[in-house]
Amino acid sequence: MKNATKYLKIFIATASLVPLMVGAANAGNVKIIANPSVKADSISSAELRSVFLEESSSLRDGSHVEPVVSKGGGAHSAFVRDYLGKTDSDLQNYYRTLVFTGKGAMPKTLSSDEEIAAYVAKTRGAIGYVSSEMSAEGVKTLAILGMENDGSRKLITRVEPVYPSTLRTNHIGGTVRLKVTIAPNGGVEAVELMGGNPVLGDAAAAAIRRWVYAPAPSKTVNEVTIPFDPNR
Amino acid sequence: MHRRMIGVMFVCLCVFQIPLLAQDFKLFDRNIQIHGFATQGFVHTNDNNWLTMYTSNFGSGEFSDFGANASTQITDKFRIGAQLYDRNLGGIGRWYPSLDWAFAQYKFKPWFGIRGGRVKTVVGLYNDTQDLDFLHPFALLPQSMYSIDVRDSTIAHDGGDLFGDIRLGSKYGSLSYTAYAGHRSNSPHGGVAYLINSDGLVFKSLAGLQYGGDLRWQTPLKGLLIGASRLNQLNTNSYVYNSPGGPIPINSSDNADWINQFYGEYTWKKLLVDAEFRRSWDDTGTPGVNESQINVHAWYVAGAYRIIKRMQVGSYYSSYWVSFPIPNLVPAGTGHDYDKVVTGRIDINRYFNLKIEGHFIDGYGYPAVSPIGFYMINNPQGLKPNTNALVVKGGFNF
Repeated sequence: MKNATKYLKIFIATASLVPLMVGAANAGNVKIIANPSVKADSISSAELRSVFLEESSSLRDGSHVEPVVSKGGGAHSAFVRDYLGKTDSDLQNYYRTLVFTGKGAMPKTLSSDEEIAAYVAKTRGAIGYVSSEMSAEGVKTLAILGMENDGSRKLITRVEPVYPSTLRTNHIGGTVRLKVTIAPNGGVEAVELMGGNPVLGDAAAAAIRRWVYAPAPSKTVNEVTIPFDPNR
Repeated sequence: MHRRMIGVMFVCLCVFQIPLLAQDFKLFDRNIQIHGFATQGFVHTNDNNWLTMYTSNFGSGEFSDFGANASTQITDKFRIGAQLYDRNLGGIGRWYPSLDWAFAQYKFKPWFGIRGGRVKTVVGLYNDTQDLDFLHPFALLPQSMYSIDVRDSTIAHDGGDLFGDIRLGSKYGSLSYTAYAGHRSNSPHGGVAYLINSDGLVFKSLAGLQYGGDLRWQTPLKGLLIGASRLNQLNTNSYVYNSPGGPIPINSSDNADWINQFYGEYTWKKLLVDAEFRRSWDDTGTPGVNESQINVHAWYVAGAYRIIKRMQVGSYYSSYWVSFPIPNLVPAGTGHDYDKVVTGRIDINRYFNLKIEGHFIDGYGYPAVSPIGFYMINNPQGLKPNTNALVVKGGFNF
């Protein structure tokens, strides 16, 4: 009887973990791939949404793009949920509404990551998504840009930079602009100074490396601006 | 004959699971997409005959439609396309095909575009998609607002739209707008023509200017959409009275008909909830001669839940109330139509679906003036105040 209770407890504990394990397996990580004819090296989450919902067919640098979608799978579910804010059936209905009211076309739909990668590689302007673990040849991977406050990666822990005392006493200030690469787990992977005083930039970068963002299915790149005001 | 053919095709396709894929081919170096859909329904009612079908004995399967479209993207911003639509619903449609939409669209920016030609009119959540059965959980949308027999009164206009989507940032959501103007006309095979012809008159035309707009806000609360629509119409009605002394043509012009509609939709995971309110005003007769007004208040609340990937259940309550110079002594059931509905939808695969739906209807509107599915000519014995209906509908799209 005692053993039976023990095994029942083990069974319940194991069973309760199954949905979590399946969820984790299904979530997967996504990377955005594009045909080499696409000039851009990055795409913002707002642009991704706009392109895949057929509101726009070009990126901000003028690159023409044509979305390619998948029929299903972990990468598809994660992409649709995280970047388009929809379920698969919502997305199908969205495209059908466009098609049957004449306001848009059904995007190219393929069955697997391999098919998507092959199609994107050979089709000018094509842009699609595949599992981040997949190695795709003949395509370029676009970094996903999220602006600091656009909600694409929520900042959970923010550490304020230390103002270098020499600069503050000499009333040297200004705004620095940095490109922050954030890992899927929310940690800051790299910080690159894009503009502003290099000493202030170093101080800002040191702080940003300790920031923690919300987890996301794939690596993203945020632009961050930090003002240094010697009078404050 | 057509209905039988479609029915047979549908059954074959369902049974043998023949994969239907959208056609995508090149013509003059342009990609052309071809898509289509078809439905076949069956309706049985306990008492009154409904939707111009003779439903109250065994039931009626005269409930079919299909549509097919072709479209192409000429440039990044410019696309053209057209769709044919054909239906048979009891005494309506009768398999006379119509040009559902056919227009050219140029999108200058995501926030500004124009389209011109025959364009579906955007009113409320579903006016422009009401024929697209596969988009909706219900076999029949709330009839208080999207009455299937008089769909052509608001369905499309020959003219133009200005439209766009404006992103307001993550804190404020986004706005979508449509403004339109054009000429619209009722079908000679639609519900209004059916009503006029059933009075012993001969319908010629009911047409005029239509203009209005729609503004919808995708709120920052994920899944919540709210919006408002306004539609104005100026109609000229022409019909012929075959008097013993010979045919007499009769023309009348409406002053101004309008619709105000307010709506909201909320989706959360597998749940969809939506509600709409419509107030419409319809001038009939000739101003200063035999003018009278039809004042309609309509609303519904609907909910649907996807219980498993391929199965959805839903319910709605739809209310229609019409005010008209009605005689004091009117039978119970006149002037309103309150419909309680439960439905189940099964998606057999990506292309096929089957719906089973129950309607429990109190009232029948005011059939002599403002039809909402019930017509005196189909119910010569008189209308009873309550109608229960079973609707079974299958459809496919590709």
